[in-house]
Parts: sequence; structure tokens; C-alpha cells
Amino acid sequence: MARSKSIRAPTTASLPNNLRIPSTTPSLTKTLGKLSRQALLDLALLWLDDRNITSFPPYLQPEAENGIDDEETLPYPAAETVEEVRQAYEDLQDRKGGKREVLERILEGDWRHGITLRQLAMADLRYMDDHPASLRWTALELSLIESRQKQSANSPVADWSSSIPRTQAATFVKALQQEISPLVKGHYHISRSSTLPLTFLRIFIIDTPYQSPRQTPEIFADSSRLIYVAFPDSCPFIYTSISASTGSKAAPSISSIATDPRSLQRLVREALPKALSRPQERYTLKATALAAKSLPTLLALRGPGRTTAANGAFSIFADAAIEGSPLDPRPASTVSAEEHMRGGQKPRSPEDKENAKREGETSTASKRQSSIGDSELSPTSKKRRLAIHSRFGTAGGSQNPAPLDRLDIRLLDAPAPTRDDDSPAGTGYPVSLTFTGSDVIGGIRKLAELGVIDPERMPSWMTGEEAISLAVVRDGKRVKRPA
Amino acid sequence: MAQPARDAPASPDPLEKELDEDIQSIRAEIRTLQRRKRFLASSLLSSDSVQKLTRKLPPALTSIHDEVSPLIHAAGKHSELNHYRIGFGTTAFPFKDPSPAAPTESLLGVRIDICARNGRFAKPYYVLLKSEHARGEVKKRLCVHRHTIPAFIALSKLESVYLPFPVSRKVQGEDDHGEESDGEAIEALKPVQKGRNAGGKQDLRGFVRELRRELVAWHLRTDAIELLREKLGLSEESQLDPAERLSPEARGGIVSLALTALEARYVRMEWEDGRVGRFKLSNTGIVERAVVIGDGGRDKQTENAMTGAGGRVESLLDRLQRRDSRTA
Repeated sequence: MARSKSIRAPTTASLPNNLRIPSTTPSLTKTLGKLSRQALLDLALLWLDDRNITSFPPYLQPEAENGIDDEETLPYPAAETVEEVRQAYEDLQDRKGGKREVLERILEGDWRHGITLRQLAMADLRYMDDHPASLRWTALELSLIESRQKQSANSPVADWSSSIPRTQAATFVKALQQEISPLVKGHYHISRSSTLPLTFLRIFIIDTPYQSPRQTPEIFADSSRLIYVAFPDSCPFIYTSISASTGSKAAPSISSIATDPRSLQRLVREALPKALSRPQERYTLKATALAAKSLPTLLALRGPGRTTAANGAFSIFADAAIEGSPLDPRPASTVSAEEHMRGGQKPRSPEDKENAKREGETSTASKRQSSIGDSELSPTSKKRRLAIHSRFGTAGGSQNPAPLDRLDIRLLDAPAPTRDDDSPAGTGYPVSLTFTGSDVIGGIRKLAELGVIDPERMPSWMTGEEAISLAVVRDGKRVKRPA
Repeated sequence: MAQPARDAPASPDPLEKELDEDIQSIRAEIRTLQRRKRFLASSLLSSDSVQKLTRKLPPALTSIHDEVSPLIHAAGKHSELNHYRIGFGTTAFPFKDPSPAAPTESLLGVRIDICARNGRFAKPYYVLLKSEHARGEVKKRLCVHRHTIPAFIALSKLESVYLPFPVSRKVQGEDDHGEESDGEAIEALKPVQKGRNAGGKQDLRGFVRELRRELVAWHLRTDAIELLREKLGLSEESQLDPAERLSPEARGGIVSLALTALEARYVRMEWEDGRVGRFKLSNTGIVERAVVIGDGGRDKQTENAMTGAGGRVESLLDRLQRRDSRTA
């Protein structure tokens, strides 16, 4: 890198957007190689868009022609104008082929002088849009720390809106950068998700005080140095890709200098609520015992919509599956749940649009389900089906938009119910259960349908009613925090 | 009909395919007609005249009576329920918690129906309350168990004011054992309850009234913005009379007007000449604050036009138009 010869002075600024990573870096090829051909083409055309062309100019033929022979031997002769480059990608778009040729054209042709950090961030976020289940997300709740004085002043509260911090993206990033820059140097990229009602913040962290780090370029594509934070619209939750354990209250060892990615991540996590805070309005992050791979799950269980606090047996209310609109003349019992749910979508309230989108994805699955359900049933299985319906509601069925991929349960009860001796609970042997799979609650429902689990005696955490992926349970009830 | 198609997937006979498609469409039509028939039948049964007629049916016609009356009775009951829902907007119902671990099986459900601008009702909102024994009290108190209220309405704040629960709500599900480890959270909760009539009377009516008001205000805000968007021709589907829509010249160069988030509290505007603006909507539908920034700094005149003259959001575009014609 030519930059490293210039004077290096430690600063607290963030890494510049236009810091170039040599395009020969193997990990860069790997990162970009994860994208599909269409995604790569879209990205290249986005980079060549008029708004972005100044940020990431492609490699063009130098005006002074001094090394022509050299150029000729390269597989991708440099274009003369941006228009020409654009045309090349549009041509690639029209014809079929592998993604290899697009990737090579990007790295060895038009951006042979390097891919900037911002380009890499855009590529990563594009990958996230295409693969919403590529990371494991933890949901955290933002809550206001209210000062005591404010409480004692018995002012009539007229504002019932939730305490959602309102901030401009740029202001927030600046505040965050100020908070962590003395300890961590980062590169920040904010972007709106194209498929979900979310805003992503991608933070790349590195422990160097210099603007142009001397580390090997490999480090820029190191996924352990990446932190994603997603801000869902209009709700007091945030989702992070930082695993929950790093945020625990373990005493931070001040003596050891934070250099490994994990402690850097912890620093960022601690800085997040501070950056969202304002004078007289301090926020803190609380764990919500939910982590899942799919973002739609988090949006359903800790999102702005109706399903956040009504799951499992209560999902019939969230989906409005039992009663229709007051204008419907048909008695509620004569109309099927699916029809109710569909009928409720006609009025176009904002959240219904989301549901409609979701329904489109799941409709094929629901058809399959209904064809199974139409078969003849014996009275016992009919009874079981009713019980299952009352316990799971619409959740866990094939229409379920919120599959959990993992459910960790710690049972504090003694394995054999010995009710006669009144020993304090918790002194027994705790049992840990871990369920994993593509849809845990759906699987439990299937087991109940097959008669393996008694749907009437099953505790409510098995039906997804609690909307958690991690719980400590005693007497079938959830305990908020382990002792 | 899927059978022959599956047998010969390699050579789909064009005639057969056509027939299949025909059958598909006919079946779909039958389904919609059946649905319509059901709809009309229940409308008829619940209609006022039929209901009145059955009430004074001569006893001689018992055969009709026995056959039809359960249906008519159900329809009558349902329409009465619907009248309550339309008339009062908030109805209560009992619900049984199916969880075997639940301390109290019966829950009190509250259903809130809200009519949107298009004359339809939004999906009903539900709050399910359970009654619990507060520590050291004989009488049971209500607290929110589950709900379908959007997250931007602070239900917990409402609850702490209108449905105060003396100790901490963590009593259920965990005893003293859990509380010890949770000392911090309780510490944070206690002053809330002390400050506002801790152990005071619970006011379910007040709770529901405030909640409904908040929900209605949200729907009104979204509807108002949708109306403005339709007037500007920015919305794809329009329920507005085309005559009410503004001509491109009358739009005053507004190219975009959109909500910033689901909560519909802030609205972002964009003009042709690069000015961007943002305004805040109050619960009563008034533009509370507005900021418009162009290349030459703040555009105070436009801001004043937006917030001035009562500041109703519905007449926002008229005010902007008037301002434009005055300056032109």
C-alpha cells in the first residue's frame, strides 16, 4: 500500500470509507464469492451508479499511454469511460453464465486497484438481504433509565408512546464513534434493508489507532471483527449479532488490554445504548432471552407488530383468527380461521401489509397442511387436534412465520415429581434441555399431533407462548433469571 | 384431475392442459359463489326484518320454527354482538388460559375495534388480563397477561398508572428465590409504584379508554397521511374521488411525502427543488413542529405555513398551496 509510507499519526477518527483493500486478498474473493451472480451484478451496477461513481471509481485506462503492452496481456483490458464499464455489466446481465466471470471481472478488471471498505460493507449487507438466516441474532430491549426525581414529581402523564430513541443515523454513528474510538477503531456502514422493516448498522472493528492500519489486508474480511446491529422500526428493541454471553456482567478485566475481537465486541455493545442516549434520556440494554437465526422470527417475536406479546395459545388473537370484523354478518363459528386471517388483511393498516408479504411466502406450505388435515379423523385424534389447537393456536403450524432454530431450557424441578416432601425448589438437580432444528415449536407441535406429547399437560414454554429461546423453568413456569 | 397430468408429465396434451385450466377456474368460481351464498344467507338471517318476523311467528308454523330458529337465533345473537362492537368499539369477553401451569384459568379479554378510513375495520386489538392476588391483599387485582398492541404504545406505562399492582409483578412465576437475584430490576420498579398511588385503586375503564385513544390516534395519523399521499397522487391504490386529487401543478413541487416509521409520528417530505422537510403529528392530528431545509438554509415561511392556521394535517396541502400562490 502506498499509503503506509506517508506519516502515520494515531487519531480517533473512524476508518475511511475509501480505504482500499487489495483485490488480490484471498479472503476478499471468498467474501464476495458468497454472493450470487445476480447480486454481484446488482452491486457492480450500484457502484457504477451516478451517485456512487465518485466513491468507487472503476479502474479506467490511464490517459497518458505509457504501458500499453502491459495492458494488452491482462485478461480484462481497462475501459476508457465509465459508460463502457456499465455496458459491460449490463451485457453480463443479459446473458447467462457463472458468477465466477463476474467476480473475476470485478476483482481483476474494473476494481483491480482495490475494493474499498464501503464496497465490502455493501456486499456484506446485500448477502444479508439474500440470506436472512446467515447470522445468529440476539434481541435486546432498550429501556429508559428514569431518574428518581422525575418519578416523585407526580406529573400527569399524557404521553403513552414507548420510549423509542429518535436519532438521525449520522448523529448516532458519530456518537457511537465518539464513545468507542479511544478504544476501538471502526468502520461504520448504515443501510436500510430492502426486504425487511429494519435498518442495519455494520461495524467493522480493529485495534489500531492509525488511519491506514498496517495489519494484513486479510483482517478486513475477518467475520469475527464484524458486528451487525439491526434497528427494527418503531419498537424499543434492537437486534445484534453479538452473542449474548459477551454482554454478561462479568467484571471487565481492566488490566488486560482489549485486543481480541471478543472484547472489542463487548466494548461496542456497551457503547450502543450510550450513543442512543441524550441528556435526561438515558437508555440501557436489557436481555430478552431470545436469540434466533432468522430475522423474520425476531421481527415477529420482538418487533413492532401484534405478535410480540401474543404467541402460542394466544396467537389466535395476534392473527385475529377467531372472530371477524364487526361488519361480517357470518357467525364466527361458521368461518374458518384462514378466512378470518385473510379477511382481516383487507383493511390496509401498515402492519397488515407486512403480514400480507409474509403470507405470500407461506401460502404454499399452508396448502400442503390443509390437504393433510382434510383426511378422516377418529374421535380421539379429533379431540387431540382440538387440544393442540387450543394450546398452539396458529403458531407452530406450517403457517408459522417465526421459526425458532434453538430452544434452551433449564428445568429446576426434580425430575420425578415428589410433591410430598416440601423441599425448596431449586435444590434438586437441574436438567438442561436443548432443542435444535429448523423450527423447534413446529416440531413440538408435530410430536403432539402424533400423540407423543400430551397437549393438555404440556407446559406453556413448549408451545412458544413465552416467545423465548432461553428459559429457566420451575413448576412449569418461567423464572426470569437463574439464581 | 391431477391424475392424468401426473401420469404423462413429459407430453402435456395441449387440449388436456386447457381442460385442466378450465376445471381449475370453474372450481375457483364455485368456491367464490359458495362463499357469497353463505355471506348472503347470513346477512339475510341477521337482517332486521327477518329477526322481527320470527319473533311474532304464529305458533302454528312450528315445523319452520324448529328447523330455522337455531340458525336465526345464532345470526341474531351474532348481529347483536356486532352492533355492540361497532357502537362501543370496546367489548369484553372471557377466555380460558389453556396452560396447565397457569394459576388462574380464566382471563378477561378486552377487544378493541377500530374503524379505518376506508370504512372497514382493522384487525381487532386484544388485551388479555389476568387477576392475581397481590401480596398481603385479599382482593384480586388485574394485570396484563398477553396483548396484541403494537410495541410503540407503552402498555407497561399505562398499566403502571391505571392498573397499579402493589409489590412487583414478578410475584407470579417466581418466589423470593427469584427476587433476590433480580434485586436491581425491582429496585427500578418500586419507585414507579410508590410515586403513583401504589396499592391504589385499579381503573380498568381508564386503562382501556387511554389505550383505545392511543390506538385510534395512530390509525387516524396513518389515515391522514394516506389521504395526503392520495391527494398528491403518490399512492398506488386510491379511494379518493379523482376530482379531489391535485393536479401536478397544484402539488407545489412536492415529490415525496412519507411516514418515517410505523408509528406515524414523523413525516418526511421532499420537494422538487431539493428542499426536504419533516413534521411531527400530534395525537389530535395537528402538525406540531415542522422543519424545512433547502440549499439556502431553513425555509421558515414554509414551516410557518405548515404549522400555522390551526395546523390541521388534512388541510396541510391547501395551506402550502396558498403560500405558494402568495409568493408567486
